[in-house]
Amino acid sequence: MTFPLFPTHEWGLVFGVLSGFGFGFVLERAGFGRTQKLVGQFYGDDMTVFKVMFTAVVTAMLVVVVASGLGLADFKIIADHATSETLLVPFAIGGAAVGAGFVMSGYCPGTSWVAMASGKLDGLFTVLGSIVGAILWSEVEFRPGFATFHNMTNVGNFYLWELLHLPPRAGPAILAAAVVVMAAGCFVGAEKIERLLARNADPLAQATPGGRRGRFVVAGLGAASLVGVALLALPTGTAASVRAAEPVSQLELARRVFDAPWTVRVIDLRPAAACAEKRIPGAECVPEADLPKLALADAAPGRDLVLVGDGALAQPPAAAAAYPGRVLILAGGWKGWEAFALTPPEPPAPGAPLAEVDAYRVRAGIQSALTGMKAAPPPPTPTAAPSGGPKKGGGGCSG
Amino acid sequence: MERNPNKFWNPYLAGVALGLVLAATYLVMGNGLGASGGNLRIGVAVLQAIAPEHVAATPPLARAVAGEHPNWLVMELLGVILGGIVASYTAGRMKLEVLKGPRISVAGRLAFAFAGGALMGLAAKITRGCASGQALTGGALLSVGAWVFFMAFFAGGYGLAYFVRREYR
Repeated sequence: MTFPLFPTHEWGLVFGVLSGFGFGFVLERAGFGRTQKLVGQFYGDDMTVFKVMFTAVVTAMLVVVVASGLGLADFKIIADHATSETLLVPFAIGGAAVGAGFVMSGYCPGTSWVAMASGKLDGLFTVLGSIVGAILWSEVEFRPGFATFHNMTNVGNFYLWELLHLPPRAGPAILAAAVVVMAAGCFVGAEKIERLLARNADPLAQATPGGRRGRFVVAGLGAASLVGVALLALPTGTAASVRAAEPVSQLELARRVFDAPWTVRVIDLRPAAACAEKRIPGAECVPEADLPKLALADAAPGRDLVLVGDGALAQPPAAAAAYPGRVLILAGGWKGWEAFALTPPEPPAPGAPLAEVDAYRVRAGIQSALTGMKAAPPPPTPTAAPSGGPKKGGGGCSG
Repeated sequence: MERNPNKFWNPYLAGVALGLVLAATYLVMGNGLGASGGNLRIGVAVLQAIAPEHVAATPPLARAVAGEHPNWLVMELLGVILGGIVASYTAGRMKLEVLKGPRISVAGRLAFAFAGGALMGLAAKITRGCASGQALTGGALLSVGAWVFFMAFFAGGYGLAYFVRREYR
């Protein structure tokens, strides 16, 4: 997964100015710095607000859907990070109040800044009002009574694909395609209403018909939504490329378990009794049948998931493959681990190459640490370091 | 090039441009765009200069000071101002004025702007975001709450529009 980039705080602030610049520039050029264009939406003769907002929603949605389909991002990780929780009653009541405030002031909080920047004093007064309003609610929102309303009917991060019981991987792409169809229908309706009411329109807020360019944009969004759906079927889509389980060697896992245990979540799939007896340090004993109970699809993706089977696992079980982060399979499974880490290694023959002696030392260390043996396996016979430069290439036949 | 202040971008192309800015923000920051959070942060900065003990004693205000995201939103608003200045100046729309209909006084229009802004700022705290932070950012990521907000927003707007029509036309 490449995105989000999550830059450092300082670079984030620089990017904040850049994205704000793009935001403000586009809002102004769309006509959102002029109150008559904004409120035209509510008198029916200038639907610019709806057209711009809905096109922007669909465009951004499709970019994230396609990026997720290519395995560059993950729709749900971005959504969990960028959206707020859903609080049904406060959002319904507060949303209506924001709409009412919008027609009273003639702006929304974002566009009032744009209007202010272009010299509109009513924009400045809306900005000041918004700041005062935000402070006022902050003064009371935590107090008894207010807090009950402010926090009621909180259903957490909740998405339309969950509401409609669509699978979490395919849901966003399918819904995006449905939203494009809905948007196209709404745009046709909006253009029609504008034409019907054109004679009422404010001279300062003439509707801009979509025309050929508008149809071209909607067709392009439709094509992008089909790409988003098609990517679900490709083996290179999210389901395969992000979740393709990579093997992890015993040595690599041992290093991570000792040095950075917080970066891995080891899950031992063997029967509970076998796992309870002996397991990799920190491993959770979860027989394969119980795996769905962990709800790995919804788990935080921060740690790499390491699956340990009895022998070598070819494929991660479906419940583990749904994990949003990296999924690793321990090469050789438990049997391989036992042979590698719990069995005393054979000391190398005197005169063995240094690499072999090193590998022996590491394995001996792991074995003694894991089996709690007071006496480590015998130290190797010292070998004189070969003088001058690394050994000749092409190992394996050096004996 | 001739500048016509009444000429705006094609709304669908503007929507695509806005969507691409939003998508870039998702992919870089993992966040969307917003305005109301930055407004709160600015208000808190003023309060902190006047009454720092009060800010520390009020949890929602203290949170706005402690978090990193509110500062990001203020930088974003700085960008919005710059973008608005450049876009309006180059389009010939930069002008000191009050936008209003002929049937309302300047003072009346400014009073409505302030009152409407206050209602919006207050309500946007309840909804954890405004038209940009909730409808745009959450809507594009298919959050149920954002779509509830979106519909309630239009209901509230259409419900009140008739009664304030004198402000605009």
